[in-house]
Amino acid sequence: MAKPSNTIQPPAIPDILQKAREDFPILKRTVNGKPLVYLDNGASTQKPQAVIDVLNRYYSNENSNIHRGVHLLSVEATSAYEEARHTITDFIGANDDSEIIFTRGTTESVNLVAHSFVEPQIQAGDEILITHMEHHANIVPWQLLCERTGAILKVAPIDENGALDLEAFKNLLSEKTKLASFVHVSNAIGVINPVAEMIAAAKEKGVPTLLDAAQSIQHMPLNVKELDCDFLAFSGHKIFAPTGIGVLYGKRALLDEMRPYQGGGDMISTVSFEGTTFKEPPSRFEAGTPHIAGAIGLKAAIDYLQSIGLETIARYEEELLKYATVQLRAIDGLRIIGNPAKRAGAISFVMENAHSHDVGTILDTEGVAIRSGHHCCEPLMKRLGVSATTRASFSFYNNHTDVDTLVSALKKVSILFE
Amino acid sequence: MDPKDLYKQTLLKHSKSPHNEGELIDSTHQAKLTNSLCGDEVTVYLKIESNSIQRATFTAQCCSICTASASMLTQKVQGLPTEEAHYFAQKITTQLQDKDKPLVLSADDELQSLEGVKQFKSRIRCATLPWEAMLASLASSSE
Repeated sequence: MAKPSNTIQPPAIPDILQKAREDFPILKRTVNGKPLVYLDNGASTQKPQAVIDVLNRYYSNENSNIHRGVHLLSVEATSAYEEARHTITDFIGANDDSEIIFTRGTTESVNLVAHSFVEPQIQAGDEILITHMEHHANIVPWQLLCERTGAILKVAPIDENGALDLEAFKNLLSEKTKLASFVHVSNAIGVINPVAEMIAAAKEKGVPTLLDAAQSIQHMPLNVKELDCDFLAFSGHKIFAPTGIGVLYGKRALLDEMRPYQGGGDMISTVSFEGTTFKEPPSRFEAGTPHIAGAIGLKAAIDYLQSIGLETIARYEEELLKYATVQLRAIDGLRIIGNPAKRAGAISFVMENAHSHDVGTILDTEGVAIRSGHHCCEPLMKRLGVSATTRASFSFYNNHTDVDTLVSALKKVSILFE
Repeated sequence: MDPKDLYKQTLLKHSKSPHNEGELIDSTHQAKLTNSLCGDEVTVYLKIESNSIQRATFTAQCCSICTASASMLTQKVQGLPTEEAHYFAQKITTQLQDKDKPLVLSADDELQSLEGVKQFKSRIRCATLPWEAMLASLASSSE
Protein backbone atom coordinates (compact mmCIF):
# COMPACT_ATOMS: atom_id res chain seq x y z
CA MET A 1 0.00 0.00 0.00
CA ALA A 2 1.30 3.43 -0.89
CA LYS A 3 2.35 5.54 2.04
CA PRO A 4 -0.01 8.41 2.76
CA SER A 5 0.90 11.79 1.41
CA ASN A 6 2.90 14.08 3.62
CA THR A 7 1.74 17.30 2.11
CA ILE A 8 0.57 19.40 4.98
CA GLN A 9 1.39 22.97 5.73
CA PRO A 10 3.31 23.52 8.94
CA PRO A 11 1.10 25.18 11.57
CA ALA A 12 1.37 28.92 11.96
CA ILE A 13 3.02 29.77 15.26
CA PRO A 14 1.19 32.47 17.21
CA ASP A 15 3.49 35.40 18.07
CA ILE A 16 3.14 34.78 21.77
CA LEU A 17 4.41 31.21 21.37
CA GLN A 18 7.18 32.20 18.99
CA LYS A 19 8.42 34.52 21.71
CA ALA A 20 7.81 31.97 24.49
CA ARG A 21 10.35 29.56 23.04
CA GLU A 22 13.01 32.12 23.87
CA ASP A 23 12.00 31.89 27.54
CA PHE A 24 13.46 28.37 27.89
CA PRO A 25 17.24 28.64 28.20
CA ILE A 26 17.81 24.89 27.86
CA LEU A 27 16.38 24.95 24.35
CA LYS A 28 19.43 26.93 23.28
CA ARG A 29 21.89 24.17 24.15
CA THR A 30 23.33 21.55 21.86
CA VAL A 31 23.34 17.80 22.32
CA ASN A 32 26.01 15.74 20.61
CA GLY A 33 26.95 18.81 18.62
CA LYS A 34 23.40 19.35 17.32
CA PRO A 35 20.77 21.85 18.46
CA LEU A 36 18.56 20.21 21.09
CA VAL A 37 15.18 19.08 19.83
CA TYR A 38 13.31 18.27 23.01
CA LEU A 39 10.41 15.92 22.37
CA ASP A 40 10.27 14.18 25.74
CA ASN A 41 7.80 16.53 27.37
CA GLY A 42 5.61 13.65 28.51
CA ALA A 43 8.47 12.57 30.78
CA SER A 44 9.27 16.06 32.02
CA THR A 45 8.91 19.58 30.67
CA GLN A 46 11.59 22.25 30.53
CA LYS A 47 11.56 25.26 32.81
CA PRO A 48 11.08 28.86 31.66
CA GLN A 49 13.45 31.54 32.93
CA ALA A 50 10.59 32.89 35.08
CA VAL A 51 10.58 29.65 37.11
CA ILE A 52 14.35 29.48 37.35
CA ASP A 53 14.45 33.10 38.52
CA VAL A 54 11.84 32.49 41.19
CA LEU A 55 13.80 29.55 42.60
CA ASN A 56 16.93 31.65 42.60
CA ARG A 57 15.11 34.51 44.32
CA TYR A 58 13.57 32.21 46.92
CA TYR A 59 16.86 30.62 47.89
CA SER A 60 18.72 33.94 47.71
CA ASN A 61 16.24 36.04 49.67
CA GLU A 62 13.40 34.19 51.34
CA ASN A 63 14.61 30.73 52.25
CA SER A 64 13.23 29.63 55.59
CA ASN A 65 10.84 27.10 57.05
CA ILE A 66 7.12 27.76 56.86
CA HIS A 67 4.34 27.83 59.46
CA ARG A 68 6.96 27.91 62.23
CA GLY A 69 8.91 31.07 62.78
CA VAL A 70 7.87 34.51 63.88
CA HIS A 71 10.83 35.99 62.07
CA LEU A 72 10.43 37.82 58.79
CA LEU A 73 11.96 35.19 56.53
CA SER A 74 9.61 32.52 57.82
CA VAL A 75 6.67 34.84 57.41
CA GLU A 76 7.69 35.61 53.83
CA ALA A 77 8.28 31.95 52.98
CA THR A 78 4.93 31.00 54.51
CA SER A 79 3.05 33.61 52.59
CA ALA A 80 4.80 32.68 49.31
CA TYR A 81 3.93 29.01 49.90
CA GLU A 82 0.29 29.78 50.67
CA GLU A 83 0.05 32.17 47.73
CA ALA A 84 1.22 29.30 45.55
CA ARG A 85 -1.64 27.20 46.90
CA HIS A 86 -4.08 29.97 46.08
CA THR A 87 -2.78 30.23 42.52
CA ILE A 88 -3.50 26.53 42.06
CA THR A 89 -6.98 26.92 43.53
CA ASP A 90 -7.76 29.53 40.90
CA PHE A 91 -5.96 27.66 38.13
CA ILE A 92 -8.04 24.50 38.44
CA GLY A 93 -11.21 26.21 39.65
CA ALA A 94 -11.32 24.70 43.15
CA ASN A 95 -13.63 26.23 45.75
CA ASP A 96 -11.08 26.91 48.41
CA ASP A 97 -7.35 26.74 49.11
CA SER A 98 -7.99 23.99 51.65
CA GLU A 99 -8.82 21.68 48.73
CA ILE A 100 -5.25 21.88 47.41
CA ILE A 101 -2.74 19.49 48.97
CA PHE A 102 0.89 19.71 48.01
CA THR A 103 2.46 16.31 47.34
CA ARG A 104 5.63 15.09 45.68
CA GLY A 105 3.77 14.45 42.45
CA THR A 106 0.96 12.51 40.83
CA THR A 107 2.23 9.21 42.21
CA GLU A 108 2.10 10.42 45.79
CA SER A 109 -1.30 12.00 45.19
CA VAL A 110 -2.72 8.65 44.06
CA ASN A 111 -1.12 6.86 47.01
CA LEU A 112 -2.57 9.45 49.37
CA VAL A 113 -6.09 8.83 48.07
CA ALA A 114 -5.55 5.07 48.33
CA HIS A 115 -4.33 5.27 51.91
CA SER A 116 -6.42 8.07 53.39
CA PHE A 117 -9.68 7.97 51.45
CA VAL A 118 -10.24 4.46 50.11
CA GLU A 119 -8.55 2.15 52.58
CA PRO A 120 -10.54 3.12 55.70
CA GLN A 121 -13.83 2.38 53.96
CA ILE A 122 -13.02 -0.59 51.74
CA GLN A 123 -13.73 -4.21 52.55
CA ALA A 124 -12.83 -7.55 51.03
CA GLY A 125 -14.83 -8.00 47.84
CA ASP A 126 -15.22 -4.26 47.20
CA GLU A 127 -13.81 -2.93 43.95
CA ILE A 128 -11.58 -0.21 42.51
CA LEU A 129 -12.13 0.60 38.85
CA ILE A 130 -9.31 1.75 36.56
CA THR A 131 -8.74 1.49 32.80
CA HIS A 132 -6.40 -0.62 30.69
CA MET A 133 -4.36 2.43 29.69
CA GLU A 134 -3.24 3.55 33.14
CA HIS A 135 0.30 4.49 34.06
CA HIS A 136 1.83 2.13 36.62
CA ALA A 137 1.30 4.93 39.18
CA ASN A 138 -2.44 4.41 38.82
CA ILE A 139 -2.22 0.60 38.89
CA VAL A 140 0.29 -0.40 41.53
CA PRO A 141 -1.08 1.65 44.48
CA TRP A 142 -4.44 -0.08 43.91
CA GLN A 143 -2.86 -3.51 43.63
CA LEU A 144 -1.10 -2.91 46.93
CA LEU A 145 -4.37 -1.72 48.47
CA CYS A 146 -6.16 -4.81 47.16
CA GLU A 147 -3.46 -7.02 48.65
CA ARG A 148 -3.90 -5.36 52.02
CA THR A 149 -7.68 -5.42 52.05
CA GLY A 150 -8.92 -8.22 49.81
CA ALA A 151 -10.55 -5.71 47.48
CA ILE A 152 -10.66 -6.39 43.74
CA LEU A 153 -9.09 -4.29 40.99
CA LYS A 154 -11.38 -4.01 37.95
CA VAL A 155 -10.00 -2.86 34.61
CA ALA A 156 -12.13 -1.22 31.92
CA PRO A 157 -11.04 -2.46 28.48
CA ILE A 158 -9.79 -0.45 25.51
CA ASP A 159 -10.02 -1.22 21.80
CA GLU A 160 -7.16 -1.86 19.38
CA ASN A 161 -6.94 1.88 18.62
CA GLY A 162 -6.27 2.58 22.26
CA ALA A 163 -9.72 4.09 22.88
CA LEU A 164 -11.62 3.31 26.05
CA ASP A 165 -14.70 1.11 25.82
CA LEU A 166 -16.98 3.60 27.55
CA GLU A 167 -19.94 1.24 27.78
CA ALA A 168 -17.80 -1.42 29.43
CA PHE A 169 -16.49 1.20 31.84
CA LYS A 170 -20.05 2.17 32.76
CA ASN A 171 -21.07 -1.44 33.19
CA LEU A 172 -18.17 -2.07 35.56
CA LEU A 173 -19.40 0.64 37.93
CA SER A 174 -21.46 -0.85 40.73
CA GLU A 175 -22.35 -0.41 44.37
CA LYS A 176 -19.18 -2.37 45.14
CA THR A 177 -16.98 0.25 43.42
CA LYS A 178 -15.32 2.41 46.06
CA LEU A 179 -13.40 4.57 43.60
CA ALA A 180 -13.01 4.99 39.87
CA SER A 181 -9.49 6.25 39.10
CA PHE A 182 -8.51 7.01 35.54
CA VAL A 183 -6.18 8.94 33.34
CA HIS A 184 -7.32 12.01 31.43
CA VAL A 185 -4.68 11.79 28.68
CA SER A 186 -2.63 8.64 28.17
CA ASN A 187 1.06 9.33 28.70
CA ALA A 188 1.99 6.49 26.36
CA ILE A 189 -0.21 7.10 23.31
CA GLY A 190 -1.78 10.51 23.82
CA VAL A 191 -5.42 9.37 23.74
CA ILE A 192 -7.84 11.77 25.44
CA ASN A 193 -10.44 9.96 27.52
CA PRO A 194 -14.09 11.06 27.61
CA VAL A 195 -13.67 12.05 31.23
CA ALA A 196 -16.82 14.17 31.48
CA GLU A 197 -18.92 11.15 30.56
CA MET A 198 -16.87 8.86 32.79
CA ILE A 199 -17.28 11.13 35.80
CA ALA A 200 -21.00 11.57 35.11
CA ALA A 201 -21.48 7.80 34.87
CA ALA A 202 -19.60 7.29 38.14
CA LYS A 203 -21.67 9.97 39.86
CA GLU A 204 -24.86 8.31 38.73
CA LYS A 205 -23.77 5.20 40.62
CA GLY A 206 -22.50 7.19 43.57
CA VAL A 207 -18.87 6.25 42.86
CA PRO A 208 -16.18 8.82 43.73
CA THR A 209 -13.62 9.63 41.04
CA LEU A 210 -9.91 10.40 40.90
CA LEU A 211 -8.69 12.00 37.70
CA ASP A 212 -5.01 11.60 36.79
CA ALA A 213 -4.34 14.89 35.01
CA ALA A 214 -0.56 14.48 34.82
CA GLN A 215 -0.64 14.58 31.01
CA SER A 216 -3.56 16.93 30.44
CA ILE A 217 -3.08 19.86 32.79
CA GLN A 218 -0.31 21.37 30.63
CA HIS A 219 -2.17 20.90 27.35
CA MET A 220 -5.75 22.12 27.90
CA PRO A 221 -7.83 24.24 30.25
CA LEU A 222 -9.21 22.21 33.19
CA ASN A 223 -11.79 23.10 35.78
CA VAL A 224 -12.55 20.75 38.64
CA LYS A 225 -15.97 22.27 39.26
CA GLU A 226 -17.02 21.73 35.67
CA LEU A 227 -15.51 18.25 35.61
CA ASP A 228 -16.99 17.52 39.03
CA CYS A 229 -14.30 14.96 39.80
CA ASP A 230 -13.82 14.25 43.51
CA PHE A 231 -10.03 14.18 43.29
CA LEU A 232 -7.53 15.35 40.71
CA ALA A 233 -3.78 14.74 40.67
CA PHE A 234 -0.93 16.27 38.73
CA SER A 235 2.84 16.77 38.86
CA GLY A 236 4.68 20.06 38.84
CA HIS A 237 7.56 18.96 36.65
CA LYS A 238 5.25 18.12 33.78
CA ILE A 239 3.87 21.64 33.84
CA PHE A 240 7.17 23.56 33.63
CA ALA A 241 7.77 23.58 37.41
CA PRO A 242 10.44 21.76 39.46
CA THR A 243 10.45 18.04 40.18
CA GLY A 244 9.36 16.86 43.62
CA ILE A 245 6.23 18.99 43.83
CA GLY A 246 2.73 17.96 42.83
CA VAL A 247 -0.88 18.50 43.73
CA LEU A 248 -3.82 16.55 44.96
CA TYR A 249 -7.11 18.37 44.68
CA GLY A 250 -9.93 16.90 46.76
CA LYS A 251 -13.44 18.09 47.54
CA ARG A 252 -13.35 19.59 51.01
CA ALA A 253 -16.20 17.46 52.33
CA LEU A 254 -14.24 14.32 51.44
CA LEU A 255 -10.93 15.66 52.75
CA ASP A 256 -12.61 16.44 56.09
CA GLU A 257 -13.44 12.77 56.56
CA MET A 258 -10.04 11.46 55.56
CA ARG A 259 -7.35 10.16 57.88
CA PRO A 260 -3.81 11.59 57.71
CA TYR A 261 -1.43 10.20 55.14
CA GLN A 262 1.81 10.56 57.05
CA GLY A 263 2.42 11.64 60.62
CA GLY A 264 4.83 14.38 61.57
CA GLY A 265 5.24 18.05 62.14
CA ASP A 266 2.89 20.68 60.75
CA MET A 267 -0.07 18.31 60.43
CA ILE A 268 -1.09 18.24 64.10
CA SER A 269 -3.15 20.49 66.33
CA THR A 270 -1.86 19.07 69.60
CA VAL A 271 0.43 16.19 70.44
CA SER A 272 0.62 14.32 73.71
CA PHE A 273 1.55 10.76 74.53
CA GLU A 274 -2.09 10.13 75.36
CA GLY A 275 -3.19 11.11 71.90
CA THR A 276 -2.77 13.52 69.05
CA THR A 277 -5.27 15.67 67.23
CA PHE A 278 -4.84 16.61 63.63
CA LYS A 279 -5.17 19.84 61.73
CA GLU A 280 -7.86 20.53 59.20
CA PRO A 281 -7.17 19.97 55.50
CA PRO A 282 -4.90 20.67 53.74
CA SER A 283 -2.33 20.71 56.59
CA ARG A 284 -3.51 17.30 57.83
CA PHE A 285 -2.01 15.80 54.68
CA GLU A 286 1.26 17.74 54.60
CA ALA A 287 3.44 16.25 57.32
CA GLY A 288 6.96 17.58 57.65
CA THR A 289 8.66 20.42 55.85
CA PRO A 290 7.27 20.47 52.33
CA HIS A 291 9.01 21.34 49.08
CA ILE A 292 8.53 25.06 49.63
CA ALA A 293 10.66 26.18 46.70
CA GLY A 294 8.88 23.65 44.51
CA ALA A 295 5.46 25.06 45.40
CA ILE A 296 6.66 28.59 44.70
CA GLY A 297 8.18 27.39 41.42
CA LEU A 298 4.88 25.75 40.54
CA LYS A 299 3.09 29.04 41.09
CA ALA A 300 5.60 30.77 38.81
CA ALA A 301 5.06 28.10 36.14
CA ILE A 302 1.29 28.46 36.32
CA ASP A 303 1.48 32.25 36.21
CA TYR A 304 3.72 31.91 33.16
CA LEU A 305 1.37 29.44 31.49
CA GLN A 306 -1.62 31.66 32.14
CA SER A 307 0.17 34.63 30.63
CA ILE A 308 0.21 32.64 27.39
CA GLY A 309 -3.21 31.06 27.79
CA LEU A 310 -4.08 27.38 27.69
CA GLU A 311 -6.65 27.90 24.92
CA THR A 312 -3.90 29.25 22.67
CA ILE A 313 -1.64 26.37 23.67
CA ALA A 314 -4.32 23.73 23.07
CA ARG A 315 -5.17 25.11 19.61
CA TYR A 316 -1.54 25.31 18.53
CA GLU A 317 -0.56 21.91 19.87
CA GLU A 318 -3.48 20.29 18.08
CA GLU A 319 -2.20 21.68 14.78
CA LEU A 320 1.38 20.68 15.59
CA LEU A 321 0.30 17.12 16.43
CA LYS A 322 -1.64 16.89 13.17
CA TYR A 323 1.43 18.04 11.28
CA ALA A 324 3.66 15.56 13.10
CA THR A 325 1.19 12.71 12.56
CA VAL A 326 1.08 13.28 8.81
CA GLN A 327 4.88 13.58 8.56
CA LEU A 328 5.48 10.46 10.65
CA ARG A 329 2.94 8.37 8.73
CA ALA A 330 4.82 9.10 5.52
CA ILE A 331 7.98 7.36 6.79
CA ASP A 332 8.45 3.86 5.38
CA GLY A 333 8.14 1.14 7.98
CA LEU A 334 6.83 3.46 10.69
CA ARG A 335 3.55 2.59 12.40
CA ILE A 336 1.79 4.89 14.84
CA ILE A 337 0.50 3.03 17.90
CA GLY A 338 -2.95 4.03 19.00
CA ASN A 339 -5.26 5.86 16.71
CA PRO A 340 -7.51 7.84 18.98
CA ALA A 341 -10.15 10.23 17.72
CA LYS A 342 -8.76 12.85 20.10
CA ARG A 343 -5.11 13.15 20.95
CA ALA A 344 -2.98 15.40 23.12
CA GLY A 345 0.69 15.60 23.90
CA ALA A 346 2.17 12.41 22.56
CA ILE A 347 2.54 10.26 19.47
CA SER A 348 3.89 6.74 19.94
CA PHE A 349 5.23 4.64 17.11
CA VAL A 350 7.26 1.60 16.19
CA MET A 351 9.62 1.08 13.27
CA GLU A 352 9.66 -2.10 11.27
CA ASN A 353 13.29 -3.09 11.66
CA ALA A 354 14.51 -0.98 14.56
CA HIS A 355 13.78 -1.47 18.23
CA SER A 356 12.70 1.68 20.07
CA HIS A 357 15.93 1.85 22.08
CA ASP A 358 17.98 1.79 18.93
CA VAL A 359 15.73 4.50 17.54
CA GLY A 360 16.22 6.50 20.73
CA THR A 361 20.01 6.24 20.60
CA ILE A 362 20.23 7.27 16.96
CA LEU A 363 17.87 10.20 17.50
CA ASP A 364 20.03 11.25 20.45
CA THR A 365 23.06 11.43 18.20
CA GLU A 366 21.01 13.86 16.10
CA GLY A 367 20.16 15.96 19.16
CA VAL A 368 16.58 14.69 19.31
CA ALA A 369 15.36 13.67 22.78
CA ILE A 370 12.44 11.23 22.81
CA ARG A 371 11.39 8.42 25.12
CA SER A 372 11.63 4.76 24.23
CA GLY A 373 10.32 1.78 26.12
CA HIS A 374 7.06 0.81 27.77
CA HIS A 375 6.37 4.29 29.24
CA CYS A 376 5.42 2.77 32.61
CA CYS A 377 2.36 1.28 30.89
CA GLU A 378 3.20 -2.39 30.46
CA PRO A 379 -0.44 -3.61 30.42
CA LEU A 380 -1.30 -1.05 27.73
CA MET A 381 1.69 -2.05 25.62
CA LYS A 382 0.70 -5.69 25.87
CA ARG A 383 -2.88 -4.89 24.87
CA LEU A 384 -1.66 -3.00 21.80
CA GLY A 385 0.66 -5.86 20.87
CA VAL A 386 3.99 -4.12 21.31
CA SER A 387 6.70 -4.46 23.94
CA ALA A 388 8.09 -0.97 23.52
CA THR A 389 7.46 2.13 21.45
CA THR A 390 9.18 5.36 20.59
CA ARG A 391 7.27 8.33 21.92
CA ALA A 392 7.57 11.89 20.72
CA SER A 393 5.79 14.16 23.18
CA PHE A 394 5.22 17.81 22.50
CA SER A 395 4.88 21.10 24.25
CA PHE A 396 3.91 24.59 23.11
CA TYR A 397 7.59 25.51 22.67
CA ASN A 398 8.03 22.87 20.00
CA ASN A 399 7.63 23.87 16.37
CA HIS A 400 7.48 22.30 12.94
CA THR A 401 11.26 22.49 12.61
CA ASP A 402 11.49 20.14 15.59
CA VAL A 403 9.14 17.76 13.78
CA ASP A 404 11.16 18.01 10.57
CA THR A 405 14.40 17.25 12.45
CA LEU A 406 12.72 14.24 14.08
CA VAL A 407 11.53 12.99 10.71
CA SER A 408 14.91 13.35 9.04
CA ALA A 409 16.60 11.58 11.97
CA LEU A 410 14.06 8.75 11.70
CA LYS A 411 14.90 8.40 8.02
CA LYS A 412 18.53 7.81 9.06
CA VAL A 413 17.29 5.07 11.39
CA SER A 414 15.45 3.45 8.47
CA ILE A 415 18.60 3.46 6.36
CA LEU A 416 20.82 1.99 9.10
CA PHE A 417 18.40 -0.80 9.94
CA GLU A 418 16.89 -1.52 6.53
CA MET B 1 28.91 10.79 18.31
CA ASP B 2 28.38 8.71 15.23
CA PRO B 3 25.80 5.94 15.53
CA LYS B 4 28.01 3.83 13.28
CA ASP B 5 30.49 3.61 16.18
CA LEU B 6 27.79 1.76 18.05
CA TYR B 7 26.05 -0.10 15.27
CA LYS B 8 29.02 -1.84 13.69
CA GLN B 9 28.41 -4.16 10.75
CA THR B 10 29.08 -7.32 12.75
CA LEU B 11 26.64 -6.24 15.42
CA LEU B 12 23.97 -5.43 12.84
CA LYS B 13 24.56 -8.79 11.14
CA HIS B 14 23.87 -10.61 14.41
CA SER B 15 20.86 -8.48 15.30
CA LYS B 16 19.24 -8.93 11.90
CA SER B 17 19.96 -12.67 11.68
CA PRO B 18 20.63 -13.91 15.19
CA HIS B 19 22.14 -17.34 15.80
CA ASN B 20 20.62 -19.91 18.14
CA GLU B 21 17.43 -17.98 18.71
CA GLY B 22 14.59 -20.04 20.12
CA GLU B 23 13.67 -22.13 23.11
CA LEU B 24 15.82 -25.16 23.84
CA ILE B 25 13.45 -28.03 24.49
CA ASP B 26 15.98 -30.21 26.30
CA SER B 27 17.71 -27.44 28.23
CA THR B 28 18.99 -28.30 31.69
CA HIS B 29 19.33 -24.71 32.84
CA GLN B 30 17.53 -21.53 31.95
CA ALA B 31 17.01 -18.03 33.31
CA LYS B 32 15.10 -14.96 32.21
CA LEU B 33 16.30 -11.48 33.04
CA THR B 34 14.51 -8.20 32.51
CA ASN B 35 15.93 -4.73 32.25
CA SER B 36 13.35 -2.89 34.34
CA LEU B 37 14.51 0.40 32.90
CA CYS B 38 13.19 -0.43 29.45
CA GLY B 39 11.31 -3.70 29.75
CA ASP B 40 13.70 -5.68 27.57
CA GLU B 41 13.85 -9.34 28.44
CA VAL B 42 16.20 -12.17 27.56
CA THR B 43 16.01 -15.85 28.39
CA VAL B 44 19.15 -17.94 28.06
CA TYR B 45 18.73 -21.73 27.75
CA LEU B 46 21.65 -24.07 28.37
CA LYS B 47 22.05 -27.77 27.93
CA ILE B 48 24.82 -28.81 30.27
CA GLU B 49 26.33 -32.26 30.34
CA SER B 50 29.45 -33.29 32.23
CA ASN B 51 30.08 -29.69 33.29
CA SER B 52 30.18 -28.56 29.71
CA ILE B 53 27.74 -26.44 27.71
CA GLN B 54 26.50 -28.64 24.88
CA ARG B 55 23.96 -26.17 23.52
CA ALA B 56 23.06 -22.57 24.23
CA THR B 57 20.05 -20.71 22.84
CA PHE B 58 18.11 -17.59 23.70
CA THR B 59 14.76 -15.95 23.29
CA ALA B 60 14.40 -12.23 23.66
CA GLN B 61 12.25 -9.20 23.30
CA CYS B 62 14.88 -6.57 23.08
CA CYS B 63 16.90 -4.09 21.07
CA SER B 64 19.51 -4.82 18.42
CA ILE B 65 22.45 -4.55 20.81
CA CYS B 66 20.94 -7.00 23.24
CA THR B 67 19.94 -9.39 20.45
CA ALA B 68 23.39 -9.26 18.89
CA SER B 69 25.06 -9.76 22.24
CA ALA B 70 22.84 -12.78 22.96
CA SER B 71 23.50 -14.24 19.53
CA MET B 72 27.27 -13.94 19.92
CA LEU B 73 27.02 -15.28 23.46
CA THR B 74 25.41 -18.51 22.33
CA GLN B 75 28.13 -19.02 19.74
CA LYS B 76 30.86 -18.20 22.21
CA VAL B 77 29.86 -20.49 25.06
CA GLN B 78 28.73 -23.51 23.14
CA GLY B 79 31.25 -26.26 23.88
CA LEU B 80 32.89 -24.44 26.77
CA PRO B 81 33.28 -25.97 30.24
CA THR B 82 30.77 -24.25 32.52
CA GLU B 83 33.53 -22.82 34.68
CA GLU B 84 35.17 -21.21 31.70
CA ALA B 85 31.85 -19.82 30.43
CA HIS B 86 31.18 -18.43 33.87
CA TYR B 87 34.58 -16.78 34.02
CA PHE B 88 34.22 -15.32 30.54
CA ALA B 89 30.71 -13.93 31.22
CA GLN B 90 31.96 -12.17 34.32
CA LYS B 91 35.00 -10.85 32.50
CA ILE B 92 33.16 -9.42 29.52
CA THR B 93 30.43 -7.90 31.72
CA THR B 94 33.04 -6.10 33.78
CA GLN B 95 34.92 -4.99 30.70
CA LEU B 96 31.80 -3.65 29.00
CA GLN B 97 31.05 -1.58 32.08
CA ASP B 98 34.53 -0.07 32.17
CA LYS B 99 34.44 2.85 29.78
CA ASP B 100 38.12 3.67 30.17
CA LYS B 101 39.56 0.34 29.08
CA PRO B 102 39.09 -1.44 25.77
CA LEU B 103 37.63 -4.91 25.51
CA VAL B 104 40.39 -7.51 25.74
CA LEU B 105 39.42 -10.13 23.21
CA SER B 106 41.18 -11.89 20.40
CA ALA B 107 41.30 -9.73 17.28
CA ASP B 108 38.89 -11.92 15.33
CA ASP B 109 36.36 -12.21 18.12
CA GLU B 110 33.04 -10.86 16.88
CA LEU B 111 32.24 -9.73 20.42
CA GLN B 112 34.67 -6.91 19.71
CA SER B 113 31.74 -5.30 17.88
CA LEU B 114 30.15 -4.54 21.27
CA GLU B 115 32.99 -2.15 22.07
CA GLY B 116 30.95 0.84 20.89
CA VAL B 117 28.46 0.66 23.79
CA LYS B 118 31.12 2.03 26.13
CA GLN B 119 30.52 5.47 24.61
CA PHE B 120 26.76 5.16 25.05
CA LYS B 121 26.27 4.84 28.78
CA SER B 122 22.52 4.22 28.60
CA ARG B 123 23.09 1.22 26.35
CA ILE B 124 25.75 -0.74 28.26
CA ARG B 125 23.16 -2.83 30.07
CA CYS B 126 21.69 -3.81 26.68
CA ALA B 127 24.98 -5.56 25.93
CA THR B 128 25.48 -7.10 29.36
CA LEU B 129 21.91 -8.36 29.93
CA PRO B 130 22.33 -11.67 28.02
CA TRP B 131 25.58 -12.39 29.86
CA GLU B 132 23.90 -11.72 33.18
CA ALA B 133 21.07 -14.01 32.10
CA MET B 134 23.58 -16.72 31.29
CA LEU B 135 25.20 -16.35 34.72
CA ALA B 136 21.74 -16.63 36.27
CA SER B 137 21.07 -19.65 34.10
CA LEU B 138 24.30 -21.31 35.25
CA ALA B 139 23.28 -20.61 38.84
CA SER B 140 19.79 -22.08 38.33
CA SER B 141 19.33 -25.62 39.55
CA SER B 142 19.19 -28.28 36.87
CA GLU B 143 15.86 -29.94 36.43
